[in-house]
Amino acid sequence: MYNRKIRGPLIEGNKSLGQITKEIASPMEVGPGLWWYIAFFVSSVAAVLGFYAIYITVYKGIGTWGVNNSVAWGWEIVNFVWWIGIGHAGTAFSIFLLILRQKWRTSINRAAEAMTVFAVMCAAIFPALHMGRVWDVFYIFPYPNTRGPLWVNFNSPLFWDFSAITAYLLISASFWYLGMLPDLGTIRDKTTSRIKKAVYGLFSMGWTGSSRQWIRFESLSFILGGIAAVLVVSVHSIVSTDFAVGIEPGWHTTIFPPFFVVGAIFSGFAMVMTLMVLIRKIYKLTDYVTDNHMDAIARILIFISLIMATAYVTELFISWYSGNKYDMFTMFRNRVTGDYTMQFWGMIVCNALIPQLFWFRKIRRNWIGLLSISLIINLGMWLERYNIVVTSLSKDFLPSNWVSYSPTIIDIGVFVGTIGLFGTGVLLFMRYIPMMAISELKSVAHIGTKKED
Amino acid sequence: MMRTFKIGIFDDEGKFLSSIRSLQEQKLQIFDVFTPYPVHEVFHLLKRKSRLPTAAYFFGLFGIVATLGFLYYTSVIDWPLIYGGKPFNSFPSFIVVTIVVTILTVTLASLALFSARSKLFPGRDNTIFDLRATDDKFVIVVDTNFPDQSQAGRAGNLMKEQGAIEIIDKEFEKVEA
Repeated sequence: MYNRKIRGPLIEGNKSLGQITKEIASPMEVGPGLWWYIAFFVSSVAAVLGFYAIYITVYKGIGTWGVNNSVAWGWEIVNFVWWIGIGHAGTAFSIFLLILRQKWRTSINRAAEAMTVFAVMCAAIFPALHMGRVWDVFYIFPYPNTRGPLWVNFNSPLFWDFSAITAYLLISASFWYLGMLPDLGTIRDKTTSRIKKAVYGLFSMGWTGSSRQWIRFESLSFILGGIAAVLVVSVHSIVSTDFAVGIEPGWHTTIFPPFFVVGAIFSGFAMVMTLMVLIRKIYKLTDYVTDNHMDAIARILIFISLIMATAYVTELFISWYSGNKYDMFTMFRNRVTGDYTMQFWGMIVCNALIPQLFWFRKIRRNWIGLLSISLIINLGMWLERYNIVVTSLSKDFLPSNWVSYSPTIIDIGVFVGTIGLFGTGVLLFMRYIPMMAISELKSVAHIGTKKED
Repeated sequence: MMRTFKIGIFDDEGKFLSSIRSLQEQKLQIFDVFTPYPVHEVFHLLKRKSRLPTAAYFFGLFGIVATLGFLYYTSVIDWPLIYGGKPFNSFPSFIVVTIVVTILTVTLASLALFSARSKLFPGRDNTIFDLRATDDKFVIVVDTNFPDQSQAGRAGNLMKEQGAIEIIDKEFEKVEA
């Protein structure tokens, strides 16, 4: 099943079970270094700035944003799609590899799922604010109300989006928490501090590791994994229908659902890579997340990058081949050339060209290479969403509608705020939750080593 | 009533498994075993099965029927409105919401069932026979009162023979597992 001659051991250094517990739990036992406090301070300041920008938005209205009558969707929707995309890969990573029984997921899945939960939280802020009157957000819940009862439009992609994101947040959080139960139990039994014992005891919900608990735990993991895999594909397809159902040139195309799903996984895997490079570097967990792990993610990124490049070319080709002059205009006069060339070519360079550097083994094994390319991919994916949202809206069918778009300081503030929120969440995760699934690591500790049966 | 248990601690998966096998050959009742990670051989030996997948299937069925029923009720019966010239019961565009809500139903209902059946919920205080079971030891627990006292000594010796690093007798006022 697992060929160690090809991949090498999953966990290096012949760890004993006790050693695994100790090494993964140690960041929670010993206090964090100075870097942690600095990073935490910076990200909380960013989050507070974001909350201030949100306050201004709610107090004065979305007129404080750069959006206008034509470009009614600006940075907020770009950021929403970007965050949701990042949020995708955590689950995609963890669940697809679970179903495919790829054991190398074990050292990475916890962090990937944590990233998902925080990213989806950040994403959910934007559509809620974009409704304009955020205090009326409950109007979108389909519940028997005193307004008729008037129901929401179940045929609308915007409602699909709402239900998909709500479900995605709940499910990815449940899956993450479920996977954490055995590890919280481990910390509870291991710690000597009374407060920690009480807190982790509460959150581990009485986990003992009995055979009955384990079998139900495993079968529930597979059930949730199996159905959440469907959800991963459907959520971003639904996000893409927000655009594809509209008739704007550049949006009205059937390539969108797969294009969005692949793009989401692309940016999410890049973010997983960013996080793992930092975690293994800072916490010296290179025995658990080996060079081979990073190599595998880098290979997946090359593959997805090629799919993205194909999609970009296909979009251009189809707009030419269809002979639709509006589509042609958007693609060739407003993206490839025109006012938004920077964003278009930036996207091509970041997403299609630079990731090709991963063909070189030296770069796949160099942490600076991995970190910078993964950040570049996320920049590229942001530019891609900017391209889709803004270029199509800025110049549509009627030249009298044409306007240019630029964000205001409030737009930027909300975005910075979500980055701060994400950073704060990830830092708290590093501090208080085992960063890798301890119990799963133990079950794969012998794979690829000499003790293999 | 105080209950006494004989607890065998192992630090090796192989010895632990062979010990379960010989206890079973001797017809000695095992109360339960505790491991730091899921050991599939144990499920096989102790004949542990989970019916969660079956339950999840029915949750899914319920989710589909309930969601489609709800959409039909709201869009056709309760407040019919024409959106974009579509029929009231525009089934194809209801599928999206149905898929998502069904997945959510299965997840939440399976979690609730798991929590109830495994007795895992906040504040739950399940009996921990040995603290090391969640760290690096494999633990076999034998109930000394069942079927009768004489079995306990035999079980202890057997586990020792099979390579247990420790045999402990522990008393518990109340056992919740």
